[in-house]
Amino acid sequence: MNHAIISCLHANLPAVEAVLNDIDRQGIDTITCLGDLVGYGPQPNEVVELIRKRDIATCQGCWDEDIIDGLNACECSYPSQLAERRGHLAHQWTDDQLTDENKSFLASLPTSLRRDRLLFVHGSPNSQHEYLLPDMDAFAALERVETAGADILFCGHTHQPYVRELRDGSIRVRLQNADHDCDQGEELTLPMRKIVNAGSVGEPRHGSTNATYVIHNDTTDEIEIKEVPYDVGRTCQAIVEAGLPKVFAWRLSHGFEFAEQAEDASHVCER
Amino acid sequence: MRSHPGKSGYLRLDGYPSNGLEQVSDSGIDKAFLKDQFPELIDLSDSHHAPRSQQGDLLTLIELPQLQAPQHAGLTGMDPRVKNQLEALQLHPDRYLHFGRDPELPNKDTLEFKKLESFSLSLNASVWDPPSLNTLWFELVNGAYGDVYRAKALMNLPDGRSMFFNWIVSQESSQFLPLEEISAPNGRPASLSELVVQGKHLDGLRIQSTIDLCLLNDAVLEMHQMPLRDRQKEAIPSA
Repeated sequence: MNHAIISCLHANLPAVEAVLNDIDRQGIDTITCLGDLVGYGPQPNEVVELIRKRDIATCQGCWDEDIIDGLNACECSYPSQLAERRGHLAHQWTDDQLTDENKSFLASLPTSLRRDRLLFVHGSPNSQHEYLLPDMDAFAALERVETAGADILFCGHTHQPYVRELRDGSIRVRLQNADHDCDQGEELTLPMRKIVNAGSVGEPRHGSTNATYVIHNDTTDEIEIKEVPYDVGRTCQAIVEAGLPKVFAWRLSHGFEFAEQAEDASHVCER
Repeated sequence: MRSHPGKSGYLRLDGYPSNGLEQVSDSGIDKAFLKDQFPELIDLSDSHHAPRSQQGDLLTLIELPQLQAPQHAGLTGMDPRVKNQLEALQLHPDRYLHFGRDPELPNKDTLEFKKLESFSLSLNASVWDPPSLNTLWFELVNGAYGDVYRAKALMNLPDGRSMFFNWIVSQESSQFLPLEEISAPNGRPASLSELVVQGKHLDGLRIQSTIDLCLLNDAVLEMHQMPLRDRQKEAIPSA
C-alpha cells in the first residue's frame, strides 16, 4: 500500500494545499508529516489548522519545538550570524501570530513516529536540529538508522529530497581493556538500510520552486520523490504583505540549491 | 603586470557624465588591491610620479569610467577631455579600443544599459561573519537586491585577512582573491574596506540593512580573535 510523507511545510499554505491535492488525486489516504509546520512562511495558523483538520500524523520539527520552548538552542542551530538574526525575526513574527490552540497542538507533537520497521523523524533520531545530509559519513548514517532500530528512516530538515541506500553495512566494536591486557570485539553485519529525505513542501531548496514529498510502497519498498508545482507568487506576495523579510520571498521564488550549512551539520545541540 | 619585467603604474582618470548617465565615483578598491599585489606600484595620480619619457619600461594600467560606446571608431572616438588628461601626463595613445565594438577585446565583457545606478558603502573598520558574507554575496549577485551588473568589494575577515570580491554579470562566477597583507587579529583592521554595486533597481536600504546583520560587534570579534592570538603565542618558542 502506498503512503505519503511530507515535511518542512513552513507556513506556506498554497504549497501545502497543492501537495495534499496531489496526494488525494492518487487515492493515498495515509500521510505522515515530519514537522516544521511553521517558520519563514506567512500562514502559520492556516497550515497548522489544515494539518489538524486532516488529522495527519505529525512529528515535531525544530521550528515547532522552538516556538514552544523558546530560542534556547545554542547558536549551532544557525549556520551564520545572518541566518540566526533572520531566523529570530521570523520566530518572533510566528510567535506573535500563532493562536494558543495551535501552539498547544505543536507542543503535543511527538519527536518521532514509528510504524513497524519504519521510523519518521524531522532531523535525525537524535534531535530535530541534526541534519542528515546526503553526503554524510556512511558509518555515521548507518549508526543513526541502526541505533533507532529502523529499516527505513524518513527525515526532512535539509529541504533537499534524497534516497540513500546503505548496503552491506557492518559495524565493528572493539574493546581494549588496558588493565587485563585483553581484546574483546564484535562485528555486526547489517542488512540494507535506507534513509529517505522528503525534501520540503513549503521551502524547497533543490534547484526548483516545486514542492517535494515522497511516496513509499510498504509492500515493495519502492520510493518515489514527487515534485508539485504551486502558486509561488501567491506565497511570495503574502510574505511581503505580512512584513516578513523580502529576502524570504526572493529565496522561495528561486528555489535555489544554495543553502547555508553549519560547519558541523551533525552537531547535536545540547540544551 | 606580473610578467612585466619593469616597473608598473596605476592611473585613475575622471570620467565625464553624459546623457543622464550616472558617473562612477572612485572607490579606491582597484588601487588598494593592486598596491597590495604589487607593493612597488607607482601611483601616477600623484604628480610627483607623472610618467616621464625616461621611464620607457613603465607598464601603466589606466582606468577610466565610460558608460557608453564612443560615437566614432578609432582615436577620433575618444572624448577630447580624456585625451587632454592623457596628454597632460605626456601619454599619447596610438589606439583606442572599446568593448563591444572592437574584435580585439572580448565581447562577453560588454554590458548594455541605458541608465546605470550605483551604490557604494564604506566598510572601513567593519569585520564580517564569514558565512554571513558568503550568503550576502550570493544574494547580491543573484538579484535579491536588484539587477546587479557589476559588484566589487574589499572585505575584512576576523582572522585578519582581507578579500577582494569581484563580479561581472557576463562572467560565470565571482572572483575571490585574498590580499597579501594580513592584519594582526587584534581588533579592527585599518585597511580600506568598501563595497561598490552597479545595476538597475538597486535597493540600497535593504543591502545596507542586510550588511548590518552580517557584521561582527566588538564582543563577537574578540571571541573570534582571542584563540587566534593564543595560538600565535603558542607558536612562538619561549626563550
